Amino acid sequence: MTEVSLFILVGAISIVAAAMMLLSENAVHSALFLILTMGCIAFMFLLLDAAFLFLVQIVVYAGAIMVLFLFVIMLLGAERVGATPQTRFRWMTPAATGLSLAFLAVIALALAQGQIDRQPVPPSQPLLRAAHFAPDVGPVDVYANGELLAEGLSYGSATRFVTLPPGEYNVALFAAGTQDALLAGAVTLEAGQTGTIIAYPDGTGTALTIIPDDVSTVPERSARLLLFNAYPDAPAVDLVDLGSELAAAPPRVLEAGIPLGGLAPARILPENTDLSTWAFTEADRPAAVLFRLNTPIFDVKRDTTKLLVLARRSAEDAQAFTLPLVSAAQPAFGSPVAVGQLLFTDYMLPMQMVGVLLLVAMIGAIVLTHQPGERRLTRQERRRRVSRPLTSVIAAQTGRDVTKADSNGGSAVELPDTVEEPAGR
Amino acid sequence: MVPTDAYVMLSMVLFTLGAMGVLLRRNAILVFMSVELMLNAANLALVAFARRWGGLDGHLFVFFVITVAAAEVAVGLALIVAIFRNKRSINIDELSQMRG
Repeated sequence: MTEVSLFILVGAISIVAAAMMLLSENAVHSALFLILTMGCIAFMFLLLDAAFLFLVQIVVYAGAIMVLFLFVIMLLGAERVGATPQTRFRWMTPAATGLSLAFLAVIALALAQGQIDRQPVPPSQPLLRAAHFAPDVGPVDVYANGELLAEGLSYGSATRFVTLPPGEYNVALFAAGTQDALLAGAVTLEAGQTGTIIAYPDGTGTALTIIPDDVSTVPERSARLLLFNAYPDAPAVDLVDLGSELAAAPPRVLEAGIPLGGLAPARILPENTDLSTWAFTEADRPAAVLFRLNTPIFDVKRDTTKLLVLARRSAEDAQAFTLPLVSAAQPAFGSPVAVGQLLFTDYMLPMQMVGVLLLVAMIGAIVLTHQPGERRLTRQERRRRVSRPLTSVIAAQTGRDVTKADSNGGSAVELPDTVEEPAGR
Repeated sequence: MVPTDAYVMLSMVLFTLGAMGVLLRRNAILVFMSVELMLNAANLALVAFARRWGGLDGHLFVFFVITVAAAEVAVGLALIVAIFRNKRSINIDELSQMRG
């Protein structure tokens, strides 16, 4: 409810300020009313989850552009220019008013007909990636419905997320570069879903599963942690906080009994959480530590989703090993990060073009306002202007007029030879 | 949550006020400021639609509109200063020497 009342209040202020901008006689007042209108529009941006544009609107529009306007108005002394009642185009006022009202009526009709808020929002396309954690199989090529998803995917690595249209997919793994199908399985992708296809050892062979991965926006200054168990040599594993040895804190089970091929529910951690005391242990046996998360790669960076996969080190080595698959969580809608990501990927070329346009505008403004200065003086003219009678120079420096007769005998001032000329005249 | 219709209607009212300013005011600087108001109103509609459809492309368009408006203001005000130097007036009714 507060949002609606704020909208009504600020909207009313912006309309009144815009009308006052039109009606005020003084151009400076008009500029100030326009700044108020732009501030109200910036506030609307804030209501519409456009935090980045709010900042840009305040800084660029209400700041830079309007300062330029005020500066030019003051420079030209044009506060009251054009305020005189118009003599020509008398028919313009009623015509413009009528056309404006007609335009507003058409828009209102279109909005009433269109019912924008009733239209369904098209769901986003699903995202999919493949991860290879089956130690018995070498590098693989991953195909989805016959289309190559990843080539030469080696053990312990994952592809990037790819966008696929929703539907049924027949995912097949081939040994890299060959036509031998190792494994195949059907997955269903629904709109808006994010998933990771994981190949993992299921004790007897290799299995293929799709886990719902989550890269949606996380709360501020936090990260999401997902755990997947692909370690075949223990029945199930626990995630345990072993506690500090100094503080003698008892081990604390954070996630109990993750089965092979199982995904633990996502946990949200504040950024820079210390994971060095955390470890994977065999289920219900905190002493049987499989892997400790005490290396720097298990840091917790904000706005990320980290999928920790517990797996065998290799086909021969049965030691447990944990691999983090880090992906950026989607930045919050309208945040500077989200706008910047789009700006530096999809909109790189328009941004460069806008940069060139600004440069051209800058040069244009200089060229338009440049006045050809006075002709530069030749050397002779300059000299003529500089040369003054030497007597006047001396008079200026010593404070006495040397052209008069030297009245008080010997002067303290050493006078040049030429000064004696008037005395002898 | 405020419906998108309300934002679009507000933006259209501001746009109309800006258009009336362009048509009715005689001071070239005021005409310019009215154009800025129209651009701002269009920006508001773009951001409202961007929130409605959950895409960020509208925000990017607004960003580009703001940049282009900055370039346009720089050149436009330079033109106004140059014209004022020559004619000692920025009344747009007096600037009619270019008609055919």
